Amino acid sequence: MAGRQWEGSTFGNGWMHRNLVRLLRMVGPRPVYAFSSLFIVPWCVLFNRSGRSAYAFFHTRLGFPSLKSCWLTYRNHCLFSQVVIDRFAMYAGKSFEVEYEGDAFFKALEAKEEGFVMLSSHIGNYEIAGYSLVSARKGIHAVVYSSEKESVMRNRSGMFGKTNVSMIAMQEDMSHLFEIDRALVRGDIVSFPTDRHMAGSRCIRAPFLGKEASFPQGPFSVAAMRGVDVLSVNVMKEGAKKYKIYLTPLGYGRDLPRREQIGQLCRAYIAELERMVRLYPTQWFNFFDFWA
Amino acid sequence: MDELLYNLKLQIIDALNLEDMTPEDIDDDAPLFGDGLGLDSIDALELIVILDKHYGIKLASPAQGKEVFKSINCIADYIRKNRSK
Repeated sequence: MAGRQWEGSTFGNGWMHRNLVRLLRMVGPRPVYAFSSLFIVPWCVLFNRSGRSAYAFFHTRLGFPSLKSCWLTYRNHCLFSQVVIDRFAMYAGKSFEVEYEGDAFFKALEAKEEGFVMLSSHIGNYEIAGYSLVSARKGIHAVVYSSEKESVMRNRSGMFGKTNVSMIAMQEDMSHLFEIDRALVRGDIVSFPTDRHMAGSRCIRAPFLGKEASFPQGPFSVAAMRGVDVLSVNVMKEGAKKYKIYLTPLGYGRDLPRREQIGQLCRAYIAELERMVRLYPTQWFNFFDFWA
Repeated sequence: MDELLYNLKLQIIDALNLEDMTPEDIDDDAPLFGDGLGLDSIDALELIVILDKHYGIKLASPAQGKEVFKSINCIADYIRKNRSK
């Protein structure tokens, strides 16, 4: 596990993704949840690196006893399979009930002329926000890893085609930076994954759940550079057909030196992420060594 | 030192938190990325914002950025030719 970097893509190939969408159209998510919980999750928990990573998270980071950590690891993998299935269920045309906490903050920022930044992590099911948290006035640009599977990107593009959400893929030639900057200058919304960093990218080391972890500096830097508002967005699964979206504004001193602005934003983001992990410990889906 | 070069270096030092450097420490012709100042892609975005905020210049593409951000002298030349502020 040590030193393993996130590679930036969803498991499975295009054939598997297409057939999963077909199956979900026919039978809905519940039978697929059950199949996954009985036949796929136990195998992953026992033989996949993710099982060891999740166990270490519950036992070492959150301090649960061994047996409980084993059970939470199983529950965590069941929920992870369910949020992945839900994502494909959305591609298959299914919908979910969504409750909001803090949507007034989103509406207030949406009403302003200036753009703003939304930060998310691999906790819960952020992609649901792309279909539920829509803006009538502003375009929403989701920064994604360019290594994501073509079939997933095509499915997302198909779904997002019905909304004003578009994707900005990270590129080696830095063209994504131009797109991000243009979007913010235009007054749009830019959404960043904030808990994974690619090899070689600049990081901030900060205490998270009791030990130093690495957070990508880019999202905080971009927000501070343009002096825009920042919202933390977490979309948590609350039931088979229900999600709750938490929107929390993150404050920072706009007149402070840039390094302090970035530090303040990072600490505010971590505090909110820790709150979410404590509320929904089994929905932490970062199966790589976040604290390496 | 040319006033534009001096101000540009101050803006870069401020934006990129190069607190232990002075304008005199930055070579006008040294590469900004890689072996020179060692800047990276986030710093490139800071430079894009500096050009926009202080000089009213909007760079259109990464290819253009690559040419403009070669060195302090390259940025200063580009500002002289294209500034609107």
